[in-house]
Amino acid sequence: MDWIARTNEELKKQFAGRYTVRREKEHLVLEGGSGDWQEIVEAGFAAARAAKGNIKGCLVNDVRFTGEQPKPMRLPNIEDQALEGMKPDVLVIGGGVVGCAIARELTRWKLDVLLAEKECDVALHTSARNDGMVHPGLDLRKSKLKYWYNKRGNEMYDRVCGELEVPFARTGQLLCFPKGYTPLLYLFKLYWNNLEIPSVVLKKKALYEKIPDLDTKLGCALLFPTAGSVCPYGLTIAFAENAIENGAVVSLNTAVLGMELEDRMIKSVRTNRGTVYPKVVVNAAGVFSEDVAAMAGDRFFSIHPRRGTNSILDKKASHLSLFNLSPILISHLVGSHTKGGGIIRTIHGNLLLGPDAVETPEKENFATLRDSIDNVLHKQRQTIGELGHGQIITYFTGVRAATFEEDFVIRRGLYTENIVHAAGIQSPGLTAAPAIAEDITRMVLDQVAAEKNESFNPHRKAIVNAAELPEEERSALIAENPDYGVILCRCEQVSRGEIAAALKRPLPCDSVDGVKRRVRAGMGRCQGGFCGPQVAQVIAKELNIPLEQVRKSGAGSEVLLGATKGGDTHV
Amino acid sequence: MFEQYDVAVIGGGPAGLAAAIASSKEGASTLLVEREGRLGGILKQCVHDGFGVIRFGEKLAGPEYAQRYINELKETDVQVSLLTFVDKIEKSKDGFTLVLVSAQGMRRVGAKAVILATGCRERTARQVAIHGTRPAGVLTAGAAQFYTNILGQLPGRRCAVLGSGDIGLIMTRRLTLEGAQVLGVYEAKSIPSGLPRNIAQCLNDFDIPLHLRKTVTRCFGHERLEAIEISDVDENMTPLPGTEQIIECDALILSVGLIPENELAETLGASLHQVTRGPVCDQNGQTEIPGLFSCGNAAHVNDLVDYVSESGEAAGRAAAMLNSECLMLNYAEISVDNNFLYAMPQRIDLSGSPEEVIVYFRSRDERGKTGFSAKLGDQVLLKKIFQTLRPPEMERVVLKLPPGVKAGDLVRLEME
Repeated sequence: MDWIARTNEELKKQFAGRYTVRREKEHLVLEGGSGDWQEIVEAGFAAARAAKGNIKGCLVNDVRFTGEQPKPMRLPNIEDQALEGMKPDVLVIGGGVVGCAIARELTRWKLDVLLAEKECDVALHTSARNDGMVHPGLDLRKSKLKYWYNKRGNEMYDRVCGELEVPFARTGQLLCFPKGYTPLLYLFKLYWNNLEIPSVVLKKKALYEKIPDLDTKLGCALLFPTAGSVCPYGLTIAFAENAIENGAVVSLNTAVLGMELEDRMIKSVRTNRGTVYPKVVVNAAGVFSEDVAAMAGDRFFSIHPRRGTNSILDKKASHLSLFNLSPILISHLVGSHTKGGGIIRTIHGNLLLGPDAVETPEKENFATLRDSIDNVLHKQRQTIGELGHGQIITYFTGVRAATFEEDFVIRRGLYTENIVHAAGIQSPGLTAAPAIAEDITRMVLDQVAAEKNESFNPHRKAIVNAAELPEEERSALIAENPDYGVILCRCEQVSRGEIAAALKRPLPCDSVDGVKRRVRAGMGRCQGGFCGPQVAQVIAKELNIPLEQVRKSGAGSEVLLGATKGGDTHV
Repeated sequence: MFEQYDVAVIGGGPAGLAAAIASSKEGASTLLVEREGRLGGILKQCVHDGFGVIRFGEKLAGPEYAQRYINELKETDVQVSLLTFVDKIEKSKDGFTLVLVSAQGMRRVGAKAVILATGCRERTARQVAIHGTRPAGVLTAGAAQFYTNILGQLPGRRCAVLGSGDIGLIMTRRLTLEGAQVLGVYEAKSIPSGLPRNIAQCLNDFDIPLHLRKTVTRCFGHERLEAIEISDVDENMTPLPGTEQIIECDALILSVGLIPENELAETLGASLHQVTRGPVCDQNGQTEIPGLFSCGNAAHVNDLVDYVSESGEAAGRAAAMLNSECLMLNYAEISVDNNFLYAMPQRIDLSGSPEEVIVYFRSRDERGKTGFSAKLGDQVLLKKIFQTLRPPEMERVVLKLPPGVKAGDLVRLEME
């Protein structure tokens, strides 16, 4: 019996014949039908395990899902010919952290780079909807690409964030264990030594000195000093801006709709803004990377979206932990599919709780659910009992782009020549992004020869954060531009000057949320209650548009719906 | 050059205006710091009437009420610093040092006393556990009021309002008058939170339904709000599964509570009262930090601006006096029984031998005819019958203090 027959036997036993696999060229296809999404995912895992080492490709999920159908991909409501006929050397599809890092890396070479992002800004999906942790890689194994990219990426963070002026701090991760585990920690330490992840054993006293409010059931910890925190969307924006400064074109509101293929080559790529003719396509489309691969005739993996919700706490709760805290979950060590979540200290000084992990057929459903918040809070309370609903100022949901192999797909096309995939990117994708960008660039260069771009400038000037400047420098800045002395967002102390600056960057930004992601106006405890109207007015003034055209986010999200009865234009 | 004042007032709304005027009238050199470009605070956008009935015996619009104080302020020597943000306040040897930021730069100002009149912020959708998407069209009543009354722009055309607090009720009427349709007001509690006159004038007069024991649990729509999910709630205000109802609308206006803004007080170490969420205060608004005062809505949420001004005046006077003599603070405490939500102040400063003390309080539950008493040991300081007591309505009583009251004494407020 060959491995496929064996796998089918196994699937039959486990799932009563609802699923079968068959080999197609270099990948494995899972077929069948079910209304139970969770079960489909489990069948996928079983099939992917069986295929390991037997094929070059991965598992492709062709099971008919008979439950409530997920909505089709949301498309920008713009139709024009802005890109028609463009012939870039490289088309990068997807403006997440990976796509933007790749675009920037490509500009180190004399290449015409076009990045297409379907949303109105970069980092609107997974890259803005995660905990911002730069992982040491505790739950990774050397057999996975994730391990190697995480390791390299982590080491690159100080340099990359320095170049791009993105705040980054090695906050350290504390893995906390119950009392009495101290002797075992030295064993665990050896385990992580073997993975080249440095750690320090903290006994009870040292631990409670660091985290006085820690639950008393916990009694020792391993501290991993290479863990860090970064603003994930801040970094993505920085990559995009620096890419643009070095000659890349970032086209927002641009969705890839189809591709024309010929002799295993992509000839053209159709978008809502015209057809483009790239030499090489980079697939960094996140949860939609499978769809892009399919258009390219190169679908040899599948994405099963996995939702995760995080809560952000008021900075008043920040004293509870100066570290990223993970409670002990032995399941981490024996291979669960996702990190157990924890108490993360963000680079902005808030604590963040989460995330949870829920399999879902929906790739773009970012709606939060009450249960997710409650479950995450309940879980993290076991580490710090002081945590409570009252400290939560906001929450958000992201969707991870997981493959059934639970690993990154970073390689040239399997069936199509001129595509390179950076797919299946889930945690630790943020950490890995700089390293992924290097390798993808190398793979692109294998296909289009290019000289070094001697004028490449890795440095990007950030928007000044006036409140963080020493008093004298802040005064000097205000003397130069008095707008930096007019505070509009009081929670996060953001001045009019910073908001205006956010509207004049290399990557266009013209929405209230765009401003929020760039300078944090509205990120605080009042969540824009005070500064929302102020920011809207600054946008109208600086961009010289009527107030009612100011948007919260993308097209159709206008904040205001026109003049009141007593206003200028009667209703 | 280091500016030095006797009193620095933070916030130019009704509390801060009254405080600055009172302080100046007592002869104290006074600085009034306001973050916005105009004085008046939230009153600027409260174009409805009903302000000043107690103070002036007139129903004024918010800006009119504020203007009376602004005019009075102009007659004083108060230094007004507009578009100025308090970066931080630090305790100094002889008072406080304020670090101020404005278009003119950073400056340090010294003050012997500081009055925090910083008002409230509004509770947000996330803080009342509304889930689903985050589209445009979900906003607090205060923001909606700013858009409508200051900018002359409608935040929605087909609106639902969550919360029957006064701001929500006022905005319901305002939006209706300005051409929007308000589908209904939803309130998780079993009684409305706003004043009865606002229920009558803002909802009943316009045939807008008030739905009690219902809350908003989810938002739908990606860019613009398209619909909300309404759920019934149990007595703990927890949504009941199976009662969900979808309402199509393009705006959700939230009037779900005010939170006193006390971040500055906290950085100075003032402890906050669990219920009021303002600093623990004496009858003059002085916090546990000597020389640091709190008044108006920063001290506790008021329903009438008249009392906000009153508390500002008390704080202004006391802060100015602080300057003339070094007071030994000695306190009697005020305690309340379980029938009270809270009483303000929490303690009585006995220095200067006050003869009477104004006490504001709210009942925990809605009550009919209720006997109120204030006792010092066996001695009854005040007995009063209230025909009704409702949590949304703050009550005010004046306690006469006997001459013998001394530090550590306990004034007990009771209901029966």
